[in-house]
Amino acid sequence: MCRKGLRQNNNFFSSCHVWSTLYTCKLYYQVLNFGMIVSSALMIWKGLMVITGSESPIVVVLSGSMEPAFHRGDLLFLTNRVEDPIRVGEIVVFRIEGREIPIVHRVLKIHEKQNGHIKFLTKGDNNAVDDRGLYKQGQHWLEKKDVVGRARGFVPYIGIVTILMNDYPKFKYAVLFLLGLFVLVHRE
Amino acid sequence: MAAAAVQGGRSGGSGGCSGAGGASNCGTGSGRSGLLDKRQALTILPRLDSSSWAQAVLPPQPPKYLGWQWKIDDKPVKIDKWDGSAVKNSLDDSAKKVLLEKYKYVENFGLIDGRLTICTISCFFAIVALIWDYMHPFPESKPVLALCVISYFVMMGILTIYTSYKEKSIFLVAHRKDPTGMDPDDIWQLSSSLKRFDDKYTLKLTFISGRTKQQREAEFTKSIAKFFDHSGTLVMDAYEPEISRLHDSLAIERKIK
Repeated sequence: MCRKGLRQNNNFFSSCHVWSTLYTCKLYYQVLNFGMIVSSALMIWKGLMVITGSESPIVVVLSGSMEPAFHRGDLLFLTNRVEDPIRVGEIVVFRIEGREIPIVHRVLKIHEKQNGHIKFLTKGDNNAVDDRGLYKQGQHWLEKKDVVGRARGFVPYIGIVTILMNDYPKFKYAVLFLLGLFVLVHRE
Repeated sequence: MAAAAVQGGRSGGSGGCSGAGGASNCGTGSGRSGLLDKRQALTILPRLDSSSWAQAVLPPQPPKYLGWQWKIDDKPVKIDKWDGSAVKNSLDDSAKKVLLEKYKYVENFGLIDGRLTICTISCFFAIVALIWDYMHPFPESKPVLALCVISYFVMMGILTIYTSYKEKSIFLVAHRKDPTGMDPDDIWQLSSSLKRFDDKYTLKLTFISGRTKQQREAEFTKSIAKFFDHSGTLVMDAYEPEISRLHDSLAIERKIK
């Protein structure tokens, strides 16, 4: 309807301008726009995952079991290089089988075999006992595969926002709603 | 006024735009002038949608009237006069309208399509990475993820180069078909600039001859206060002659050759 006589532009998108409605085409532009923003954030996160080798390169400390080193709300940067050996006294973030939330504690004891296979025990600085009570039923040691990463650096207090959003879901929805509103109003 | 113009010895059918039962495409043309897409302030990411839509709105029959009556029927464009990007958008849109409707050029979407293609390919890489990582949890998916991330950022680099060097600030590429049908089309390009918090608007019209491949340009820099009134309405009577003058200065040179 719009460009009946035009023959030159044969590629896909030019024909898109004569889609069934102009509205569909505009919708595609809007969706693509939004998709670009989301993709950039996603790619940065995945890029961090690849560079650090850890499946969760940035975590927030949720409990006070590592005080005075880490407080609730601190942001931790993790790496998980295969070649770095785990030694006693290092702070590791690990995940216990069956539990979703990773824990950040310090390594207390290590058993190491000749071939490099490691079993280790952890304890939080601020806890009275070691973590055996937290492990799975019948499990006494952790292994390399449970490790999410080792703490390499941290930023204090910034993660409080994440904790707030988790503890008070209404706050999270309010923030998202305001953000959406801002984007919509700004576009007008 | 439109009826009087039609009666003045012109073909009745040409009043397609002005008639009450006018073709739907003309109706959407008028409606579109009131819809302004704002430029997005995404300074971090390359802009995808930097210009608003243009429609090549052709009247149902070839026009036979001498004057150009479109502005009577369109709603006047009213925007917030203090908003720099809205001002630039509305000036750009109106310049597009002038070129497409008065001179009956046909818009070429090649530049926009190029940008769209690059963005779609980037999103495709992102989706592939997402799905692959979901199906094969992290350590196994590392090589594929690395590949996707690198490709994505390479595409972003390409997009930035494309927007900066190929597209520049061009918002309209229009073709004038050769009436004899033998020579390739002449190309008209419009680009504009309006600095932040500045009132000087520069519009540049470039003419590339289809036959000789020669390029000629003309531009003007005027304060936006000359085209907008106090309430923020774009006064086409002040704007349209400027554009016509630009166009004619380039067209006349062509005829002399």
